[in-house]
Amino acid sequence: MATEYDTGQTPETVDMMLNMGPQHPATHGVFRMVLAVDGERVVDLVPHIGYLHRGSEKLMENETYAQVITLFDRLDYVSNFNNELAFVRAVEKLMDLEPPERAMYIRVILCELNRVASHLLFAGTYALDIGAMTPVMYTFRERERIQNLFESVSGARMMHNYIRIGGIKEELPDDFVHRTRKLIDELRRGVEETDKLLTFNEVFLARTRGVGMIDAATAISCGLTGPGLRASGSTYDVRKDDPYEIYDRLDYDVPIGEYGDSWDRYWLRIQECYQSLRMIDQCLDQLEPGPIMPQMRRIARPPKGEAYAHCENPRGDIGVFVVSDGTNKPYRVKVRPPSFCNLVALRQMVQGSYIADAVVVLGSLDIVLGEVDR
Amino acid sequence: MEQQPPQPNDSAQEKTLGFPPTPEAGGKVPPRPARRPPHEEEAPTEVLNERGQATAAALGRVVGSRASSSGGRDDIPWVLVMPDHLFEVLSLMKEHPETKMDMLHLLFAVDYLDHLQLIYILASLSLNQKAMVKVDLPVAGDDAQATVDSAVALWEAAGWYERETHDLFGVRFEGNPDMSPLLLYEGFEGFPGRKSFPFNEYTEY
Repeated sequence: MATEYDTGQTPETVDMMLNMGPQHPATHGVFRMVLAVDGERVVDLVPHIGYLHRGSEKLMENETYAQVITLFDRLDYVSNFNNELAFVRAVEKLMDLEPPERAMYIRVILCELNRVASHLLFAGTYALDIGAMTPVMYTFRERERIQNLFESVSGARMMHNYIRIGGIKEELPDDFVHRTRKLIDELRRGVEETDKLLTFNEVFLARTRGVGMIDAATAISCGLTGPGLRASGSTYDVRKDDPYEIYDRLDYDVPIGEYGDSWDRYWLRIQECYQSLRMIDQCLDQLEPGPIMPQMRRIARPPKGEAYAHCENPRGDIGVFVVSDGTNKPYRVKVRPPSFCNLVALRQMVQGSYIADAVVVLGSLDIVLGEVDR
Repeated sequence: MEQQPPQPNDSAQEKTLGFPPTPEAGGKVPPRPARRPPHEEEAPTEVLNERGQATAAALGRVVGSRASSSGGRDDIPWVLVMPDHLFEVLSLMKEHPETKMDMLHLLFAVDYLDHLQLIYILASLSLNQKAMVKVDLPVAGDDAQATVDSAVALWEAAGWYERETHDLFGVRFEGNPDMSPLLLYEGFEGFPGRKSFPFNEYTEY
């Protein structure tokens, strides 16, 4: 008889706390999250950041404007040109400076190439997170081609320090246009290859479709920008909504997702690669010889004031706020790192999914810890 | 080819360098040349463009007399409000159909030595406009904290920004459920974002 064994207590379940990171191959850096799990389900998630906090913003207050550019290279270390551009544009606003046409075209070409490199890195490592070992070989091969071109332009593979206040550091190498045209063809094939290999792969679809869904209203409230937000159906893209440099002269589309799940976020980045290559093609057509730096003092000394500029980084909307006190060093620099804001949305996305999906969702956000912690 | 032996240094050259100090200079390091004074004039383009003026007009209608001063540059107008009115102004800007600020774009503090300034950059994706709200917070000393109302009830994104600002600048946000350190570790003393925090002299271990 059942009543004989009845203790008068109802069975109680306790959530198990599961620690993940900071040393974990799928967190792309020193990121730690504590999961509260009920069986295989994630009930709650608490992200912990700050392991890579170097005090970049404080450092910037003690460097001259030209030196600060090097620190921006080290924030989001896979899309360096985009970061440099954001800071340089803020200072240019402060100084009321318009860079020459050619400099703007070169900046856009390099930024878009960097976007492709960053998205390729994402596609490869994302597949690796999910368990596909092959795509990373293909995407890194393509990314390497871009890095080689960057090396010929700036002398460095990653920490370029190439974009200057008012223009760019030096003229492009003679064979740049020829090499880039060839590269675009190769990249188009390379991206297509990854696309065919991964996008509609049965296993890949099963792991990513419907995982980590977020609706546009929640995403906006969390501050999510870039491909993460556009996957939810929002059209917000700084290049379209607040055109900077020469983006308003280019013809391109902004791909939009439908469901806001991990697959949409991945697919959007692949589509962005095609659009970026289209943009570079047009820029090369429109690129004309001319000056690359305006006549200005060697040491930038912006007048007193404050300015805010934002750009579309591969990860989202990067913003830079600069306060100048009239000296050759900024009084305060504040960065709006897109990865930092994107991470806020992680909790909303992971709650209710399986433990194994936490890695899939985190990977789809494509965070760079150098930028999150600054 | 045979190498030339190193020539003894010319004493005159040493004198011009000024270091190490010579007996003629009285054993003292000569003072550094004076720095060029900073620019005194305001930035030339601290004016709003057409889009910014439209936003500023809408902002003026929504915020009204709660703003103690206003201004702006390019497409981003700003209003300075009193700390008591902050939450009211922020929620008004979020809800009002003329501003509809659905995203907290950025929240940070600037240390102006005698006071801290909190700056909220708000964005409306539906109306495609941006605006700033500034608050001046007086702080009594290097270790003193200032307190304002939290905006976490309005935007999810405020949570982490507020924790970061609390870490680095010592601003307490009343109403934020989790104020544990975000970028720094538990037990860190001082506010490293402030100008008074020793930059070069500070040693951690």
